[in-house]
Amino acid sequence: MTNERVTAQILAQFPQLEKDPSPVKDYPTLRLPDAASLLPVISHLKDSLGFSYLDMVTAVDWKGPVDPAGYVREERAHPFQAKPAAAAAAKPLPGAPYRDAFTLVYALSRFANPLKIFLKLDVPREQPRAASLARIFRTADWQEREVFDLFGIFFDGHPDLRRILTLESLQGHPLRKDYAHAEDRFDR
Amino acid sequence: MGVALEKFPAICGVLPGGSGILTTADAFINWSRKSSVWPVTFGLACCAIEMMAAYASRFDFDRLGVIPRPSPRQADLMLIAGTVSKKMADPIVQIYRQMPEPRFVISMGSCANCGGPFHDSYAVLKGVDKIIPVDVYLAGCPPRPEALYYAVLKLQEKIQQMKIGHGAGAAPQQERGSRDLGAP
Repeated sequence: MTNERVTAQILAQFPQLEKDPSPVKDYPTLRLPDAASLLPVISHLKDSLGFSYLDMVTAVDWKGPVDPAGYVREERAHPFQAKPAAAAAAKPLPGAPYRDAFTLVYALSRFANPLKIFLKLDVPREQPRAASLARIFRTADWQEREVFDLFGIFFDGHPDLRRILTLESLQGHPLRKDYAHAEDRFDR
Repeated sequence: MGVALEKFPAICGVLPGGSGILTTADAFINWSRKSSVWPVTFGLACCAIEMMAAYASRFDFDRLGVIPRPSPRQADLMLIAGTVSKKMADPIVQIYRQMPEPRFVISMGSCANCGGPFHDSYAVLKGVDKIIPVDVYLAGCPPRPEALYYAVLKLQEKIQQMKIGHGAGAAPQQERGSRDLGAP
């Protein structure tokens, strides 16, 4: 029941939000219509509703099926196979909601009267940008660096947006569906 | 060591005075070298758990004189215990260069040997021997502490064959006396 009450509270304050048709488990999951409403909603959740902890920032790439050419894997002739298996062509899954967008997913927690809430925000794959939460939650600093590193989503107002997990010299962003690995000095 | 002390009176009795022994410099230096192989303390991934088990009381690496050192300046051995990510490659070379010669490397587990299950990854080095010379390769995913014991015993066999006249080298490429990677 707390779920519905909190969702109603937020929707009353921000009528432009909508309930996500595919929520994360049973948690209240809200979808943001545009990047501009991100900071006001997060600030309201933190200051007025007591969601004082940012669990996670992550992203999903909704581009079509992964291109097998993007893998580093070499096609070797297997001793028990007549000929090397050709790379299977990428086949779209029927019914999968492919679209040209990244979805940013934010999870926030409240410890008094415990509850977890999820927020989703679509950003375009061309020039993906969103506002940084680093000024509201210090922990967003590294989380957003990771999302930037692996998906290449830029966070406006981030204090130090550098790669965090991969080599500084890596070309591209590995968790994008169209990532193709370029040979670096360690692959030789 | 205990065995050597028990036999000591008989060995010493050969020479007049009963307190001296004859040996070659190679045998003596190699014996002392192989009896105190000090590894630098670091682990990279899950193989490090097996490495810690080997250090701890049940397997007790101290029996072989393998005592982890917190500084590469005091270490003889680098145990590459786990997956070497490309981000970690440069720090490993730096730590290797900080170690005094002669220095040895044991590559522990499939990941350190060849990349293992992460061979196709964009982020993992396909074998630590691409960046530093390796003395003993140890297969397994992860190898048990007994296997790590075996690798250290193999390294001790290798150290036993070193010749002072050839420099510090235990491996053929070491025989010029240095395994420096072109560093100053």
